[in-house]
Amino acid sequence: MKFKHIWLFIAVLCSATTFGQITVKGTVKDNKALPIPGVNVSVKGTTTSASTDLDGKYAIIVPNKEAQLEFSFIGFTNKIVKVGDKTLVDVMLEESNQALDEVVVVGYATVKKKDVTSSIASVKGKELQTMTVGNATESLQGKVAGVQITGAGGPGAQPRVLIRGISTVNLSTDPLYVVDGIPMGTSINFLSNNEIESMDVLKDASASAIYGSRASNGVILITTKKGKVGKPKFNVDLSNGLQIMNNPYNMADAESYANILNKAYTNSGYSEYLPNAEQYRGKTTDWWGAGINKTSQVSNASIGVSGGSDKNTYAISLNYYNSDSFYNIGGWERVTARIANDFKFSDKISMGITLNPRYETWGSPGNWADFDKIDPITPIYKPADQLNGTENEYSIYARSPSYVWNPVASVARYDDYTDLYNLNTNAYFQYEPIKGLVFRTQGSIEIGDKTQSIFRPDFEIDAAHEKAEINSVERKNTTNHDWTWQTTATYSKTFAQKHNASLMVGATMEEYNGNDVWGYGEGVPNNSDLMREVNAATKNRNSGGNSWSSSLQSYISRLSYNYDGKYYLTGTFRRDGSSKFMANNKWANFPSASASWRISNEGFMENTKAVVNDLRLRAGWGKVGNQSLPGSVYQSNIGQGYYVIGNEVVDTSYPSSMANKDIKWETVEDINFGIDFGLWKNKLSGSIEYYEKTTEDMLFKKQFPTYSGFPGYATIWTNVGSMKSNGIDVLLSYKDKKGDFSYGADFTFTTSNVKMVSLSADGEKLYGSSNRTLTIEGDEPGYYYGYIADGLFQNQTELNSHTDEHGNKLQPYAQAGDVRFKDLNNDGKIDDKDRTKLGSPWADFTMGLNLSVAYKNFDLIANFYASIGNELINQNISDLYNGASLTNKVAGLDQMAWNGEGTSNYVPRLSKNDNNENFTKFSSLYVEDGSFLRMKNIQIGYTFLNQFGLDKLRISISGQNLWTLTNYTGVDPEVGGGVLGSGFGGWNYPVQPTVLMGINVGF
Amino acid sequence: MKKITFLFFLTFFTILYTGCQDNGPDYPSSDNPTVVAATTEIYGAPNKKFEIKAALADDLGLKTVRIQIPELSLDKVITFETDPLLTTYNLSYFFEIPADRGTSEAFKIKLTVTDVSNNSVDQEIKLRLDGEFDAPAVTMITPKEGAVILLSTSNQMPVNFTVNDNSGIDFVELKCDALGINELVQLQGAPQSYTFNKTFTLPVTAANYVLTINTRDKFAIPNSGTLKINVVATNEYPALYLCDQPKGTNLTTDAVGVPMYFHEKVGQDFTFKYYADSDNKEVYFLGQESDFAPHCFGLNSSGKLADDVASSPIVLPTKGYYLIKVNPNTLLYTVTKYTPTSKVWSNIANGLWHDDAALRRPFVSVCGGGIQGANWDTWNAWTQTSLHLANNSNNPYQLVGEYTLTGTMECTFTGQWWDPSWRLIKNGIATMSPGGNGNAKYPAAPGVYKVIVDTELERAFITKK
Repeated sequence: MKFKHIWLFIAVLCSATTFGQITVKGTVKDNKALPIPGVNVSVKGTTTSASTDLDGKYAIIVPNKEAQLEFSFIGFTNKIVKVGDKTLVDVMLEESNQALDEVVVVGYATVKKKDVTSSIASVKGKELQTMTVGNATESLQGKVAGVQITGAGGPGAQPRVLIRGISTVNLSTDPLYVVDGIPMGTSINFLSNNEIESMDVLKDASASAIYGSRASNGVILITTKKGKVGKPKFNVDLSNGLQIMNNPYNMADAESYANILNKAYTNSGYSEYLPNAEQYRGKTTDWWGAGINKTSQVSNASIGVSGGSDKNTYAISLNYYNSDSFYNIGGWERVTARIANDFKFSDKISMGITLNPRYETWGSPGNWADFDKIDPITPIYKPADQLNGTENEYSIYARSPSYVWNPVASVARYDDYTDLYNLNTNAYFQYEPIKGLVFRTQGSIEIGDKTQSIFRPDFEIDAAHEKAEINSVERKNTTNHDWTWQTTATYSKTFAQKHNASLMVGATMEEYNGNDVWGYGEGVPNNSDLMREVNAATKNRNSGGNSWSSSLQSYISRLSYNYDGKYYLTGTFRRDGSSKFMANNKWANFPSASASWRISNEGFMENTKAVVNDLRLRAGWGKVGNQSLPGSVYQSNIGQGYYVIGNEVVDTSYPSSMANKDIKWETVEDINFGIDFGLWKNKLSGSIEYYEKTTEDMLFKKQFPTYSGFPGYATIWTNVGSMKSNGIDVLLSYKDKKGDFSYGADFTFTTSNVKMVSLSADGEKLYGSSNRTLTIEGDEPGYYYGYIADGLFQNQTELNSHTDEHGNKLQPYAQAGDVRFKDLNNDGKIDDKDRTKLGSPWADFTMGLNLSVAYKNFDLIANFYASIGNELINQNISDLYNGASLTNKVAGLDQMAWNGEGTSNYVPRLSKNDNNENFTKFSSLYVEDGSFLRMKNIQIGYTFLNQFGLDKLRISISGQNLWTLTNYTGVDPEVGGGVLGSGFGGWNYPVQPTVLMGINVGF
Repeated sequence: MKKITFLFFLTFFTILYTGCQDNGPDYPSSDNPTVVAATTEIYGAPNKKFEIKAALADDLGLKTVRIQIPELSLDKVITFETDPLLTTYNLSYFFEIPADRGTSEAFKIKLTVTDVSNNSVDQEIKLRLDGEFDAPAVTMITPKEGAVILLSTSNQMPVNFTVNDNSGIDFVELKCDALGINELVQLQGAPQSYTFNKTFTLPVTAANYVLTINTRDKFAIPNSGTLKINVVATNEYPALYLCDQPKGTNLTTDAVGVPMYFHEKVGQDFTFKYYADSDNKEVYFLGQESDFAPHCFGLNSSGKLADDVASSPIVLPTKGYYLIKVNPNTLLYTVTKYTPTSKVWSNIANGLWHDDAALRRPFVSVCGGGIQGANWDTWNAWTQTSLHLANNSNNPYQLVGEYTLTGTMECTFTGQWWDPSWRLIKNGIATMSPGGNGNAKYPAAPGVYKVIVDTELERAFITKK
């Protein structure tokens, strides 16, 4: 009985407790009315919580009408709603402006953005997907402070990416790309924009030191798209457009060409080259029109589906990209698929696997310059009276006296294509035995097969100058099989509520293997497509093959600590052992440390919360390395050469390079200071950073001293020299919304100053690019070095006064209209000692401005990029203005070139001989301002939401590289190149203006 | 009020203007610089350089000197260093009169000297174009340069030369200290031509002598000249040359190879290798390189070898290679025809370079100086196809071509990257194994020359077309 009362009491108590409780239901959507699954819905002040299902729906019991529901989800601003009398509470979450709770990938781990202590910049995949490009880094241009990207034209071309300038002279300057945790080398041509979820750029050494020996040029971490809990979501992305190829020069027509050459000949005392120039009027051969298409197609297509449940999520996509060359043949085509599956077996165990098969094919002629350079009088085909009917199809073309090979014929002969098949598999297993302790092991295997097939037909356009007496066929097959394996253990713990610490330790192993085999033969019976096989070759069969391997073993660790979200400390340590180094320096250590102070979380900042939402100071230090060494560093090689001994020419061998057992890594030490801020509800946010990098033990190839007994051209790699660079990165971001109108602007600003601190010997001069660049201590590497072109001699008096103090002419062969070179050292001679610094290939600063505007369902984005303060070498000046060669010139050159006093002070007189070396002396004549401002992308779109049976339908039209402001007169101001030969513009494949239409469907 | 405003702005702009002046170093006032010309009248001539000489001075420091002849487009400013200041300067400035000016013209040269205090003085010098600058021309009849006097034949040395000068000859002097010759001929009336002809007796011991001929003319500014002639007096021939040119031919017009230097010498036994490019080729042996006289070995009337300028040639009956041995003392010689066995290089001529090695055909070109289009870069040797030598279709051991020489020449005949290569050393020897011999320089008159490189003989023949 007694128990009955007790039970009754409990039942009444429970009823009383239940009485007054309210069940609230609703749907959570984003501002595009799309449901958001997985949103955490909690009753504020209690532990009661629920989450939204696949349709964004939830149900939760609240204690009373006064209860407040808090909705939170990563990437969105939290929202609190009072229940009141409502039992149906539908909520729309706004995307967060500053997204401090966003997750940033930091290498072998992720942290919240607010907890980052080093210099890391993040770009979302959808920002990259606004452009249709073959290489995702192309669309990164201007979007990340501290990253300078120089575009490269041509199907499959890879842009030059410099993170905070250069830190090496002789080794690669490309950053390391890490995709889903797996180091993938120095190119991401294999990756479609549509596959990318986000990019995180590790800019300073305190961030990148965890990648140790490959991180000196920075690291770009790429996270690909993964499935999210929810119903299957299909996404189709299509864009198609035209790349425009305008002739960068207005070349002379036949009559003008004749006039130009006649003038060059007569100016040099010869009779006219093409007398009666008027006879060529109307007889111009349109080479450009015959071989270069005004537009070429670029297409991008992607179809994907993603979704999943609490136990399993998936994301599958199929991506296609095609970029035709502007010839009638060739281009680049890429098909990739990505199949990502993640499984959660329990709260403790999860795993995932991603398959990434890929096919690429590429190849296109590279002779577009010849379409401008060949003379405009020669016809494309031989006249009928020069054909006897026995020629093969490649011999019917005419030969140009300009010595430029017939470009139409060259394109017709072109047969050099490469096919690549690749499969990358990446899988992980994660186990959390106790709360806070996570074991994770991840492995990847990549196998690839690349086949290059070349056929060169026989032809005879001209028996002396343009022929191949015998055809040849070549096939080269390269396979690679690489694997990586990394295992980490991470323990995170909060002590006494305010001490947050995390320790990660791990080990990685990587191995890269490759081999190739090739076959070559000549004398294929005919040039038909079916016979283009090595087996069909009847003469000079040859073959070869090789294999290579390299490996890297590392130990990694990271310790992070923060106190109450105010004071942060992070330290990392990596120990790398590389097969690329000899026993004496096989292993190297790469430590880093960083700290930050989140001032905005201090009590004394409480009063400023209305304005200052986030304010943080950061400082970091680290050491990273560069191990991208050429094989000759650790190989001793025997070279071959001919010597005359007695009366006989003897085939000899000699030691051409020697391994250096003491060789070690180039090491970059880096310090970084930064301030991050968010103001006025994070509408205005940004960061300002200053860095200094010092490279030590730089690798240079040096000759042996003569007393060593080695030949003069035998070399050895040694660690000598150092360089230093510094600069600032600025990011300012503003975003706001007024009703249906939202707008935003991101501004990035980057400077980089680099100087050589020391070379291998005092006063050493390191020349590059055929002695046209110089690198010395105390100045930037690879600056342009040559003579000062001090205008043109306008008259005989100026010629007569260009003498030394005794009347000896400084330029004895000069005539009025020739270039006057400066005798800088006043020694009465124009010689090597008069060369000086002509300019710098390195920009003083680069800027990016990314604007976005949206009104209701319309949106507009515009990206601008500027590179300011560098010079470029316009090598085409010699081709276009020099009368010494028979190649075609720019139209009107006979009037543009100096032809009397005051007619020009820039374009020298036309001369067949160029005795004054106007063009052969490398001078400031070739140097031009390389600054430019380019509108990288402008796109306008309209989105239909929940119409036509679709969740989303977006139609867009965009233009890429449509407008460029520059003083550079060459083909394109975006010119790359190695450190010692950067900025030499010539007939480089231009970054083309492109007009595209796009459609994006989600359902 | 207006006046005050005007004065205010005047003062303001004066200060502003003064403040904007070049902030160069300020120098105190000083005396005018001085200029003392070496002569107030300078003789020049069209297409000739003349010299402006003057002594410049300033008590504080010189800044510039400006030299002007507006009619001849000369306006030269020489700026002096000012750290340290230069107080004296000897001006020596050469200027070439344009070729199209007349000899009767005259101009004024204006020198303007400015010091660092901006004091300046002018000096005018008269320039006449009717000047004469050539020393008297000496034409040697005998002995010629490098002449060999065989003491066993005669120890008499006739010296015979003529002297010519437009402005008249002042004196002619012949000197040879070793022989005690010191002949000074002071001419009266300034004749435009003079002939010297005298025979001297040499000691019987072998020796090398240098004859020095000094001359001076009678121009207002006299022109002097000196000619040195090397003579070898010997008891045996240091060298013999094979000459396949008819007598009377000028043997100094070639650049290299005519007459041909011997191949081997043991005592006075000389051996030649020679290629007769036609049947019945006629040859002589010469005791000196530049003339048929005094020692010319040919056949006398009885068919024996004789040292006689009037002798008949030795006839090589058929085309081909010969080994010829001759002794100028014993006057014996042998002629043997042979078939060469050395490597034939003809397959490399008419070359075509190609990036693809399989399509590459080697070539032989030239690197060197004094040859139009050539330099010491083998890349240039390839690209300048006009320098490529062709195979002689009549003789696989010969590579032939045509070069334009611009003056004293030196060269190495070469393929790509010096493979193969023949260095042209002294005596016309083009050899693949030059030993320590460097490239020899050969004086040549500018013009077009025919080139033959004989890889069997290892000789080059570069003769004027």
